[in-house]
Amino acid sequence: MKMAEILKNRQLQIAVMALAFLLVFVPYFIEVPALEAASTKLITITAIVNAVTLILALQSQVRRGLNIVQRRQTGWYFKAYMIITMVLMVVFAFFGRETGPYHWVMYAVVNPLSSVNYGILAFYMASTAARAFRARNTQAILLLTTGFIVLLYQAPLTGAYAPWLEPIALYFGDTFGMAAGRMFLISVTVGAIVFGVRVLMGKETSVLGVGKEEV
Amino acid sequence: MSDNSLMKTLATYDRRWVYLVLFLVVVGPLLRPIGMPISVSPDTKQYYEAINSVEEGDKILFTLNTEFSGYNEIQSGIVATMRVFIEHNTKICVAVGHPEATGIPELVFNQLRSELDANGYVYGEDYVILGYVMPNEASVASMSQDFQGAITQDWLGRSIDDTFLSEIHTWEDWDLIADFTTGLATTYLLNHFALRGTPMTVNCIGVMIASQKPYVDSGVYLAILQSMRGGAELEYLTGHPGPGLTAMDAFTFGHYMLLLFIIAGNIGYYGYTRQQKRGGE
Repeated sequence: MKMAEILKNRQLQIAVMALAFLLVFVPYFIEVPALEAASTKLITITAIVNAVTLILALQSQVRRGLNIVQRRQTGWYFKAYMIITMVLMVVFAFFGRETGPYHWVMYAVVNPLSSVNYGILAFYMASTAARAFRARNTQAILLLTTGFIVLLYQAPLTGAYAPWLEPIALYFGDTFGMAAGRMFLISVTVGAIVFGVRVLMGKETSVLGVGKEEV
Repeated sequence: MSDNSLMKTLATYDRRWVYLVLFLVVVGPLLRPIGMPISVSPDTKQYYEAINSVEEGDKILFTLNTEFSGYNEIQSGIVATMRVFIEHNTKICVAVGHPEATGIPELVFNQLRSELDANGYVYGEDYVILGYVMPNEASVASMSQDFQGAITQDWLGRSIDDTFLSEIHTWEDWDLIADFTTGLATTYLLNHFALRGTPMTVNCIGVMIASQKPYVDSGVYLAILQSMRGGAELEYLTGHPGPGLTAMDAFTFGHYMLLLFIIAGNIGYYGYTRQQKRGGE
């Protein structure tokens, strides 16, 4: 059997994954210095491998982008722009990052563009909130009333002149808001644990990049 | 204008009116701040007490998990917190969780140049900028378990051997993690530092508050600073007005404008939309 076929073996891949999992998981509960050292080494190796994958991602993006540009597919000029800016930033970085062209692009182009993108969101959010909050039924009235009180409290001036509003707004946050936040976090965590168990049982092979998951 | 046409206008106004009014009520006070009074929330007081309790020589991991975009929302908290740490003569290590954020430390330190000089801060001895070192969970886990194995140089490639970072080996060696986040590597810091016992505070953007507050309630975080409003309150508590307090007038007007639009929309809904629906039934 060829080496490539051995490495593609699903059982072997799951076994390696399970071993890696145990190596990182067990030291949280059992104090064995040798095991902890091995676990730390494995984590550092993973961090380095992850960093190297950035180079792979760069190469893959450039190859895909060039392919689209050569075929003049829809929006090819965006890909051309992406490749040019990517290459330029890499070249600029060689001239130093504290001054020079890299520094200029970072503060005169990236910073304002990123900030504008974020600022525009405020307009959409305001418009959506103004148009979506309608007292259509009892639930909507409850939501609207709560939102109204919290929004009023969040305006800094209100807090200064209407301190009586603070306990009411904080009550909503510390009870209903906190409960919803906890429910969300617990659900996500339990979901992640279930997913992990399914992966280790070989029922979620999508993470290995092969096959479809089993029900 | 008849009552019905007024109701119709209130119910069906063009969204561009919201954009225009919001633009005016935000830009006006930003160009000419009024200086309205603000209240300080209990969360900000708790945060101020937490960061104010650091002692000289404490080693602080100052993490910027944000892009330039999010930085605009939490910069007041970042600068005010950093000022407190500098005034307490702590050792500060800045690490970022997004490539864009490699440009943020310069923006922060430029605003605090006089404080750095007044307290005799020297790069390497008192503060170090690591740059982009937290792209994923493995990196953060590695930093927490074997710092020297994971990090060997700062963001410009200078060795960290002769800096105060040579004393850092695991999560236990940090006295505090001050995280400023739009949600990038915060969960990893939580998993690999705070849940193990490293004291941690967080300053997050508005949409993250609901998901982060349970961690304060359960004692995982020492305290939370909420968005730009929290940053402005912290500026007020520290006695150094900055971008946060300047923005609070616009913040107040923006909120009131939104409330007025909601009221107007609901009057229109009851006076026109609902009537139309009933007429159609």
